[in-house]
Amino acid sequence: MEKLGYQDVNHQVVERCKGGDHRAQYELYKLYSKAMFNVSMRITNDYTEAEDVLQEAFLSAFKNMHNYKGEASFGSWLKKIVINAAINAVRKRRSELVPMDERTVADVPDEITEDDSEWQVEQVRRAIQKLPDGYRVVLSLYLLEGYDHAEIGEVLNITESTSKSQYSRARKKLLEIMREPQFVA
Amino acid sequence: MKDRLEKFVQDNREEFDVFEPRPELWQHICHDLPKQSPEKEARVIKVNFGERASFSADFFFMRVAAAIVLLLGCGLTIFLMKQQAPDTTNTLAAATSINAIAPELPEVEAYYVSQIEAKKSELSEYDLKVLGLDEQQVIDKELARLDSSYVQLKKQLYTTPNTDEIVGALIQNLQIRIKVLNRQLEVLQSLEQNKQEPNQEPQNDDTSNV
Repeated sequence: MEKLGYQDVNHQVVERCKGGDHRAQYELYKLYSKAMFNVSMRITNDYTEAEDVLQEAFLSAFKNMHNYKGEASFGSWLKKIVINAAINAVRKRRSELVPMDERTVADVPDEITEDDSEWQVEQVRRAIQKLPDGYRVVLSLYLLEGYDHAEIGEVLNITESTSKSQYSRARKKLLEIMREPQFVA
Repeated sequence: MKDRLEKFVQDNREEFDVFEPRPELWQHICHDLPKQSPEKEARVIKVNFGERASFSADFFFMRVAAAIVLLLGCGLTIFLMKQQAPDTTNTLAAATSINAIAPELPEVEAYYVSQIEAKKSELSEYDLKVLGLDEQQVIDKELARLDSSYVQLKKQLYTTPNTDEIVGALIQNLQIRIKVLNRQLEVLQSLEQNKQEPNQEPQNDDTSNV
């Protein structure tokens, strides 16, 4: 329901964008740049790279506006472009994104007793930033971008089950990081 | 089944978006965008000023230019209004040559003009700036508008056979001016009262304390 309304709000602006109207493009940029920049930031974990990705994604979106048929909300269409651009950027930087080397996580105990201490957003956010690339991307896509494992598998070119196991390892690692002394404080 | 971490992130989703791109990033994006299609640009030129078309790629420049053009326009309008306002009495005075068409008009006009002058001098005794009121421009505008319609009516007086109607309209025009000035006077008087009240209050307090 909410998505439908959202789509309607943007419908006219999107139509004007298709005609190459710079003001309409700026309106969409203002509306989405912050959210999309954070998506990009979570995947690349690098400010400059995240900006390059954002620029590239918006340019590609405006150039391919005619491909947007309105099946999904404009936001999720744009988000997909941003995520793909960001993943490509990370891939260029590091040859292997997923899966992580199994051995590095083998010694993580299966059952982690979750402490009941209150989490802070800032604490969780910084812990996510400390995760290795492969973990961070899967965990961010699942937890923050609301992608399911099938969708993650699709964008990362891995199987659904790899995404699942990768996520559960990432989650364990995250909780570990949050228990480190500087994070407990 | 949602685990605790998922729920925590979902509940605080907004707060996870802490970063913002540099404001100038839009300029970079805009720079690389394809030029607007010709007919779109033509529409921009038609609605706005021609010289802006050459800068259409630079969105912020256009905004600044538009703001400057608007400001200049407003400034010029106000300047012209101010210049027009003092002319009111001159055009009214010039009406004396009209005896043949509407002999009663000069007398009526003189009466109202003196009334208007009296109100105006009364108004000028108030220091508008001190009272924190800058409405004078609005009043001047209104008076200028009335003045221009007065001049038009007077022109019609020479060309239209139905002088009674026009003389009636002229008198009404003068009466509206007086109403406008009266309203302004009322506003100023009530404002002055309000200003004096706070001055009196502390005195009341003093006496009650004593």
